[in-house]
Amino acid sequence: MTDNEWEPKIVAFCCNWCSYGGADTAGMGRFQQPSSLRIIRVMCSGRIDPMHVLNAFLEGADAVLVTGCHIGDCHYVNGNYKAEVRYRFLEEMVRELGLEPERLQLNWISASEGEKFANFVRDVTAQVKQLGPSPLKPEGVN
Amino acid sequence: MVRVGDKLIGYATDPDVRSRGASGGLVTAVLAAALEKGLVEGVVVLKRIDEYEAIPVITDDVQEVLASGGSMHAVPVNLAKYAAGRKIAMPGKPCDVRGVIEQAKRNGVDLESTYIVGLNCGGTMHPVVTREMLVRMYETDPEDVAGEEIEKGKLIFRTKDGEEKAISIDELEDAGYGRRENCRYCTVKIPTSADLACGNWGVIGEVAGSATFCEVMNEKGKRLLDNAIDVGFVEVRPADGKAIAIREKVNSAMLKLGDEWKERVFTGIPDQERLTYYMEQFADCIHCGACKEVCPVCTCGEDSKCTMFHSLADNYRMSMYHMVRLLHLSDSCIGCGQCSDVCPVDIPVTSIFRRFADPAQKKRNYEPGMDLTRPPFLEVMLK
Repeated sequence: MTDNEWEPKIVAFCCNWCSYGGADTAGMGRFQQPSSLRIIRVMCSGRIDPMHVLNAFLEGADAVLVTGCHIGDCHYVNGNYKAEVRYRFLEEMVRELGLEPERLQLNWISASEGEKFANFVRDVTAQVKQLGPSPLKPEGVN
Repeated sequence: MVRVGDKLIGYATDPDVRSRGASGGLVTAVLAAALEKGLVEGVVVLKRIDEYEAIPVITDDVQEVLASGGSMHAVPVNLAKYAAGRKIAMPGKPCDVRGVIEQAKRNGVDLESTYIVGLNCGGTMHPVVTREMLVRMYETDPEDVAGEEIEKGKLIFRTKDGEEKAISIDELEDAGYGRRENCRYCTVKIPTSADLACGNWGVIGEVAGSATFCEVMNEKGKRLLDNAIDVGFVEVRPADGKAIAIREKVNSAMLKLGDEWKERVFTGIPDQERLTYYMEQFADCIHCGACKEVCPVCTCGEDSKCTMFHSLADNYRMSMYHMVRLLHLSDSCIGCGQCSDVCPVDIPVTSIFRRFADPAQKKRNYEPGMDLTRPPFLEVMLK
């Protein structure tokens, strides 16, 4: 990688009980992954308010990832169902706004799936690099 | 005794109310009777200022109800928020009724003690545009107008010296006047979610113009109408098949016209240009918050996400305020058009909200404000 190549800024919301562990596992397993990721730990994906996601875009995120436990595995019974309902909604909104749909992604990742987490981040980074910086990025943020 | 589901033709017994009311004064009489018998503590009525302006007031005086403004096409105020926290009866266009029901879903209104008399609505007009229209299209001084009426697709204005002038609504709308934009593509013309659905569609023969077609939608509607008949304020008789058929015909013609308008208004913006379009529209926003203040489905109050997380100091490309509102309204926007009406910088807020809300609501087969059984879908699990 050359020094002047653009690196996307990706915000990932990770559930404390699964995907946050997954990110940890990815590190422990020494899976190579890009440094473009900023993780925000939440206690449950059900805690993610659509507003958090929109705010991330407005603050200059090039992509936002919503991650949580596999359906049926929620630590709080049904938080991830709620997250999915909201996500489907946000997805439509992002599309209607005219943002590329690749900029918002959902994935269910358990604590043991370190490789899946690393691959997911790598995929998204590659996709976003193709798309370029987000059109919602405020002036002065890179 | 009337039954739920009955379709009736009725009018006020008081000759004075009957002649002054728009079509037989049934609605006025029903509301007055509810107050007279203590069914409710107050009634929302429009207090007329002039032909183009009226203020909604809550009154507990029967005489004031009987003397109220009646139906006015140029007063597009949404009454939903007047029902919050009170034991009242109110008349309402379909969007008023839907607003009340959305408020009830969010615990803003107690439907058990709120009686709504729905009025058929083909659309309302913006007061300022109406004045302009009178000068340009009708060549009439707005101050000379004594009454207006919509009949057979024509908008008729009557002047103080008894002259009448009619122009077809299509012609007016092609010239940029006529109904407000959101009314043109509105999908609910008969307020079936109200307790009583009233209107002059289907009133034919010798009673045309002096009676109201009234459908009893639920138990509360039955209570309301029975009460009015008991007090002797109202007389009703069953509507015949022809009347029912004509009402249906008018309704479906209006809905069809609405669909045509929908296609005209919501022309697709290409994918690549949409974000720029929204950013440019919202760039004019001065953050006065008026669109939120008048919104009949917003129940957040002062501590709402849209205002609390919005700061003018942020140099965001698009305001957080509108992003949150776009999201919040996707599941509940009823398209009443109030936000566009009050916007001081003329952002087409309603049509932008509808661009988001319409596909989302259609996809989930959800029509906000039409029944209480389905909660707002963003707040609950769908599975």
